[in-house]
Amino acid sequence: MRWPAPSTARWLILVGLLAFWELMPRTKIIPELFLPALSKTLTVLYTDRYDYIEALGVTIYEVAIAMVFACGLGILVGAVVGGVALLRNLLLPIFSSLYAVPIVILYPIFTAWLGIGSESKIAFAAIYGFFPVMLSTAAGIRTIDPQYVLAARSMGATLSQQIARVIIPASIPTVLTGLRLGGALTIIGVVVAEMLTSAAGIGYLVTRYRTILDSPRVFAAILMILALSVLFDVLARSVEKRTLVWQTACRSPKRSRSHLQTVPAGAPA
Amino acid sequence: MANVTRLKERPEATAIEVAGLSHVYSGAEGGVAALEDISMEVVAGRFVVIVGPSGCGKTSLLMMLAGLRHQTEGTILCNGRPIQEPDPGRVGVVFQEASLFPWLSAADNVEFPLVLRGVSKDERRSRSEAMLRLVGLEGFGARYPHELSGGMKQRVSIARGLVQDPPVLLMDEPFAALDEQTRMTMGHELLRIWSATRKTVVFITHSLTEAVYLADEVLVMSARPGRIIDRIQVTLPRPRTYEMMATDTFGRLRDRIWQQIRKTSQPGLEG
Repeated sequence: MRWPAPSTARWLILVGLLAFWELMPRTKIIPELFLPALSKTLTVLYTDRYDYIEALGVTIYEVAIAMVFACGLGILVGAVVGGVALLRNLLLPIFSSLYAVPIVILYPIFTAWLGIGSESKIAFAAIYGFFPVMLSTAAGIRTIDPQYVLAARSMGATLSQQIARVIIPASIPTVLTGLRLGGALTIIGVVVAEMLTSAAGIGYLVTRYRTILDSPRVFAAILMILALSVLFDVLARSVEKRTLVWQTACRSPKRSRSHLQTVPAGAPA
Repeated sequence: MANVTRLKERPEATAIEVAGLSHVYSGAEGGVAALEDISMEVVAGRFVVIVGPSGCGKTSLLMMLAGLRHQTEGTILCNGRPIQEPDPGRVGVVFQEASLFPWLSAADNVEFPLVLRGVSKDERRSRSEAMLRLVGLEGFGARYPHELSGGMKQRVSIARGLVQDPPVLLMDEPFAALDEQTRMTMGHELLRIWSATRKTVVFITHSLTEAVYLADEVLVMSARPGRIIDRIQVTLPRPRTYEMMATDTFGRLRDRIWQQIRKTSQPGLEG
C-alpha cells in the first residue's frame, strides 16, 4: 500500500480530530462539561451568531490597530537599531532581554492607565507584537550580505540608493518572518487581554461563558479565535509567497510538490 | 558597442597608474601593514593578472583601484585622473562570488548601474540585451539568479560590470567558486569578451594556470605586507588555446610564478 501524500495525510488528521471531537462526548467517554460535541458547539455558534459576530468585530478591530502599531513601530525601530552600530550595541541586548519578559504582567497597569475598553487591549497587544517585528527587522538588516552593499557602491549607488535598492529588498525575507510572528502574537495579546479584563470581544465571551460553565459557548468562542488565527496565517503566508518568489524558489529550485526535498549543497555549475 | 574601438587609437596610453601605494590597517594593537609601496602601470587594453599568497592584500589593492577603500599613502590614477570614490563610468568591478541581487532578474541585475543613473527604460533594456548577448546569455534575461548555474551567474556579473562601458574592468577572483571545468570555459569566454571589447582588465586569482592562460602580464605579490615582487610578461600568442597549457613555455611561466610565491610564503603555511 502506498502512503498518502503529505497534504492528503494532513486533511485526514484534521478529519480524524473532528470525528474525535464529535464522537467522544456523544459516547460519554469525555463528559460534556469538558468537551461538548462539535455539532452542539456549531449549533450554539449559529444560534448566538449575532453575539459572536459582534464580539469578533471588536476583536478584529483591536487586532488590526494593534498590528499597525506593532508592525509600523517594529519596522521603524528595528531598522534604526539594526542599521546604526552604536544603537545596535547599546539597545539590542536590552530589547532581546525584554522580549523574554512575560509582558502580560504589565496588562493590569495598562487597564489602570487606559481603562478596560479597546485602548488597553490595543496598547498591550501592540507591545506584545512589537518585539518580534523589531528584533527580526534589526536582524534582517544586520545580516545582509555585505557583498551586496559593496557591489552597489562599486556601481556608484548613493547612500539613499543603497538603502532603497539593496538594504530594503535584501531584508524583506527576515522582516516578513517577523511580521508573521508579530501578527500572531498581536492576536494572542488581544485575546488574552480580553479574557483578563474587558466587556467585549471574543476573549471576553470565553471568560464569561466559562464562569457560568457553558462549555459549548466557550468552545464556540475558541473556534472563532482559531478561525481568526488560521485566516491570518494563510494571509501572511500568501503575502510572503508572492513577495519572495526568488527566496522560496531558492529552497526548491524545481518547484517540486515535495517541500521536504533537499537541495544538494553543491549547486549546479 | 559603437565605442568599443576608441581605445585602439592610443594603444600605448596608460590606463592605470599606481604610485607609492601603502596601506596600514589600524587594529587594537597598533597598525597592521597590508600593502607596502606598490607601484604599477597598466597599459590600456592589457590583461593584467595579480597573484599572491592568501592574505597578501590582493583584494585590498583591487578595492582601492575601484575606489571602494582608501589607501593610507600613495596615488592611483585612472586615465590620468585620481580614483577617490567608485566611478562606474571609468571602472567596472566583478566580484568574487555571485554578488548578483537575488531579488532581480538577470536583465534587471545588468541594468542596475543604469537605474542608479536614471537611464530610461528603453535604453536600459537595449543595453542589457546587448550585454547579455555579449556574454553568451541571450534569452536568459528574465531568469533569476537562483535559476542560473554558477558560470552563468558570473557571466551576468561580467555583463553588469561592462554595461556602462568603462575602459577598465577589475575582477576579484571571479571564477574562484566555480568547478574546474566551468572555470576553464569561463576563462576562455572571458578572453573572447575581452578581445571583443578591448577593455583594460586587472584580474585577481589564486590559480597559476588561470593567471598564465589569461594574462599579458602577471604581477606576483609577496605575503603581508603585500609588495609586488615580480612582473612576468606572458609571451604566449593570442588567441590562447587550451593546447598551450601543455607547452614548455606555459609550464616555465607557471613554474616561475610558483617559485616566487613559494619563496614569499611563510614556511609551513604553503599548500
